[in-house]
Amino acid sequence: MKEKTNSNKLTVPELISIGVFTALYFVLVTIATFASAALLPGFSNVLLPAIAALISGCVYMLMVAKVPHFGGITVMGTVMGLFLFVSGHFAVSLIIGIVCSVGADFIGKLGGYKNKKGIFASYIVFSFGLTGPVLPLWLMKDAYIASLQAKGKDAAYIDGVFSHINSTTLIVCIAATLVCAIVGGLFGQKMMKKHFEKAGII
Amino acid sequence: MEDKILISVKNLTFTYQGMDTPAIKDVSMDIQEGKCVLLCGKSGCGKTTMTRVMNGLVPAFFKGELSGECRVCGLECGSATVEDLVPVVGSVFQNPKTQYFNTNTTAELAFPCENMGIAPHEIADRVKACAKKYGLEGLLDRSIFRLSGGEKQKIAFGAATMLLPRLLVLDEPTSNLDAGAVAALHDMIVEMKGEGMTIVLAEHRLAWALDFVDEYYFFKDGQVKEHYSAEQFMALSDEELACKGLRAARLETYRRTLEEKVCGKAVAESRLGGVDAGERAVERRNSVQNTELRLCDVTIGYNKKTPVYTVRDMCFRGGEIVGIMGHNGVGKSTLIRTMTGLIKPLSGDILRNGKKQRAKDMKKRSFLVMQDVNYQLFGDSVRDEIMLDTQDKEVCEQVLEALGLMPYADRHPMSLSGVQKQRTAIASAMVSPKELIVMDEPTSGLDRYHMEQVGEFIQELKRRGKLVVVITHDEELAAGWCDRIYRLG
Amino acid sequence: MAGERSRNNILRLDPRCKLFMLLVGNLLLFFHVNLETEVVLMLCFWVPFMLSAKWKTAVKFAVTYLALLAADIWLVPAAKGVVLSFVSLLAVGIRMMFPCIVTGAYAFSTTSVSEFVCALRKMRVPEAVVIPCMVVIRFFPTVREDYRQIKNSMELRGIGGTAFDAVCHPMRRLEYVVIPLLMNSNNVAQDLSVAALTKGLGMEEGHTSMTQIRMRAADYIYMAVCAAPLCAYIAM
Repeated sequence: MKEKTNSNKLTVPELISIGVFTALYFVLVTIATFASAALLPGFSNVLLPAIAALISGCVYMLMVAKVPHFGGITVMGTVMGLFLFVSGHFAVSLIIGIVCSVGADFIGKLGGYKNKKGIFASYIVFSFGLTGPVLPLWLMKDAYIASLQAKGKDAAYIDGVFSHINSTTLIVCIAATLVCAIVGGLFGQKMMKKHFEKAGII
Repeated sequence: MEDKILISVKNLTFTYQGMDTPAIKDVSMDIQEGKCVLLCGKSGCGKTTMTRVMNGLVPAFFKGELSGECRVCGLECGSATVEDLVPVVGSVFQNPKTQYFNTNTTAELAFPCENMGIAPHEIADRVKACAKKYGLEGLLDRSIFRLSGGEKQKIAFGAATMLLPRLLVLDEPTSNLDAGAVAALHDMIVEMKGEGMTIVLAEHRLAWALDFVDEYYFFKDGQVKEHYSAEQFMALSDEELACKGLRAARLETYRRTLEEKVCGKAVAESRLGGVDAGERAVERRNSVQNTELRLCDVTIGYNKKTPVYTVRDMCFRGGEIVGIMGHNGVGKSTLIRTMTGLIKPLSGDILRNGKKQRAKDMKKRSFLVMQDVNYQLFGDSVRDEIMLDTQDKEVCEQVLEALGLMPYADRHPMSLSGVQKQRTAIASAMVSPKELIVMDEPTSGLDRYHMEQVGEFIQELKRRGKLVVVITHDEELAAGWCDRIYRLG
Repeated sequence: MAGERSRNNILRLDPRCKLFMLLVGNLLLFFHVNLETEVVLMLCFWVPFMLSAKWKTAVKFAVTYLALLAADIWLVPAAKGVVLSFVSLLAVGIRMMFPCIVTGAYAFSTTSVSEFVCALRKMRVPEAVVIPCMVVIRFFPTVREDYRQIKNSMELRGIGGTAFDAVCHPMRRLEYVVIPLLMNSNNVAQDLSVAALTKGLGMEEGHTSMTQIRMRAADYIYMAVCAAPLCAYIAM
């Protein structure tokens, strides 16, 4: 096979593994989307990155263990972003997804994809790749204000309606994602040890 | 061309990475162009490894240490890459569900040609020609997910021939299929052989392949123990085959027994053959012995508009093994789901000792050993797994001992072989208080030895007074171990 | 994505044209265009959808969109009180996302996998992205089927299959579902790799496609049609 001559290039089996785990990740993200909508209706995807970070730790950890080369995480984030974009999500999702996954890949590389703390840190960065779908909330706020103003509602009323969508929302979103990524990452690593290392799969 | 040697193997030895013993040891064989060769032997005897050497997966994908010589179509294994072998070797594998890469049948047929960079119009012509030759026209341009296992496997065969290879390597292609689908594959292989392709077939099931195989290699512990011509192999009696752990070559006697056991024609009291002392002891513990489960005019299916099947009258009793047979797609899995309470019957009643049961009740009473046991293993050790179904530590230890799982008790279930995983699931079934045990295709892909072992285990379940239902297309298992058989469709 | 190639297409656009429409839909979100531009563009997105085999979905989208539009016109000015203003906010918000959703649904449901893959290759997307994309599409239905099987076996063994368990032991339930899913995915990845390698996916270069896609005049015209209202709005 070709990887002997070119160790930097991902092999076909590795790409297939990435595809399989990305599909699983996409499914978990879809579940997170519904869960977010159910928990906080009207706040679009505010909790999406947090819930996804909470439940996707295992998938990420196994993916990194199976494909311990630079590029694996980047491809996962890129393909994920591409599918989000094609299925009608905001295009910025794709860009944020790529940026965060490249960052996560670099952090993973620092530890040679073996250092547990390094992988853990890279998971946290990777989790923020899903903040893209949250952004339309602010655009939505603008659109609604425009819509109200066009219909002659006064400014005080508009402020009242939007007291709950402001910078606090952003902070909550980021803090929740951070906490959930920590919990999800720890859970993922625990599962790796409990199941996959024991079963001799990684 | 008559005597041209296509594959020549000399003193080939291969050890998988991380293993101590070689998977194949000092194997030598010469295979002439245009012949069909069958590799047989127990599971783990090395025949699959041999096929992997021929299509280049060993040592390129399955890493390990290779020594000796193997030339396929003039290419030296080990130094030639998988890619070098792609144009001359076509491969078909065991599991129909995981060997297609595309979602559309036509795309799957075109896939090898696309990878080789063949011009688009030429690919289209080849797809058409291939479909015509092997009767795949009706399957073109469909979603592969909606095909039956047999149809999927036909597409896999078609795809393997798209590059007009000289060698076709088939690794247990029929192990998940029913008799009808196997017959269809038989015809495809005969056609391919007629075109001059050389065929290497690793198989457990022998009966279907006898009329087109020219030579047989019997593997044991990684070595070629015997080499038979077709005449020599045909002369072997069933007893001799059984001694070698091989499946039956002739199924007529099994089929006759089967017919006798099929309900309707069945002898009235096939029920309890003879109750020995041990069984009686178990009987006292299990009151389920006298349980009777009856399906009356049960219509199964997922929605009322498209019912799958109606069961007029079907009856299961404690301490009895009932087989359910029928071709792929007739509704066996829907029947299982209905019986175990996973879905509600569209109409009709399920009666237990004459009392109507709700789906919820059935769910509480039934245990399913799935065809793919990977879906039902949750614990992080075999012991932990079995303890999910019982609170009694002693019972758990007993069953571990009885099924020979003691050496693996602390290992992760997923590190075990397929057979051992299945045994873990059967152990769970044994310790659980549930009375209805449904086994879905428990012997697909098993050699005779392991098939008979599964037979013994279901016998043990029966002795414990459970209602055992076996869904199978394995005629040998059904004839040998089932007390009665229902045939669907 | 359609596994079976969709028939009865009156207008068949190139996947790259569909991607362009998606991009325009996204820009629409960004620029807060006025109502007239929005309606015109939605019509542009909707027409090819109507002329595809998936026209029934298109009709549903149209009805929903018109309802949201009506809500904006009549409900928003009347919005008083928490519930009503909340509903009107939702109506405006969802309608704002509609260009993306409609173009996305159109691209997704009317493009066959082969066309999609061919388009990616023609846009010189590296194989390292194309192959995982193919696998993702191939693997989705398997995930669904696997999940169903795992859920069944959890239910039958009475471990964490109920809603009660999901609430009380969420992490345990997650473990029971995700671990078998991952174990199985890992096996499938190996089988798929073997199948793909023996079919030559590892060939370094020169992959062709039986399905041919081509940017026709209709595609360029349609791209212009979609871009025009947006450009006009920005210019004004």
